[in-house]
Amino acid sequence: MTSACDSLFTPRDTQNYKVFTAWMIAASIDFAAATILIDGKFIPSIAGWALTAAAIVLMLFTIRAYISFLRQADELLRKVHLDALALAFGMGVVVMMGYRLCERLGAPKMDVNDPLLVMMLVWIGAQLVFARRYAGGESDE
Amino acid sequence: MNNRLRVLRAEHRWSQADLAERLGVSRQTVNAIETGKYDPSLPLAFAIAKTFSLAIEEIFHPNGEASTKV
Repeated sequence: MTSACDSLFTPRDTQNYKVFTAWMIAASIDFAAATILIDGKFIPSIAGWALTAAAIVLMLFTIRAYISFLRQADELLRKVHLDALALAFGMGVVVMMGYRLCERLGAPKMDVNDPLLVMMLVWIGAQLVFARRYAGGESDE
Repeated sequence: MNNRLRVLRAEHRWSQADLAERLGVSRQTVNAIETGKYDPSLPLAFAIAKTFSLAIEEIFHPNGEASTKV
């Protein structure tokens, strides 16, 4: 994050974001491990289901942590995040629907995960852009 | 919306960080309000008014309108 983003965080926001990040990392590790182990058939089916269930639960806790972060966030920081979420969601819809038409015109088939990647990248990029737009002013000290 | 936040803060000799701490927001939020990039929520506007012991309309006013109190 930029310095503009950093100073948008109050100490409480930093703590809440750390909690969100911890859940996200745990969910990502579980997701990656489950994908590798299930695809490679390294584990029995029951263990695969257990890892999958754990990944889903961890992702749900990640969402809960993010909502908690948003609800308690500094109001300008919350605006930055909500604007970024709106843009990411919109771009995801545009990519999904727009590319469906492109596929009909002969473009390669899109993987179901591709719009998700677009949404995540736009979400991250938009946070930086909106943080610069609303904040970014130097301290008068 | 225009505001007199920077002037009022200067009168109290507070830095943006000082005011932000009093209001429980980030310094960037104070900066964004002062520069007109962001209009505060009603609860925050009330908190600002209370901090300076003024009415909201004495601090904030619509674009193009002078403050009700100088």
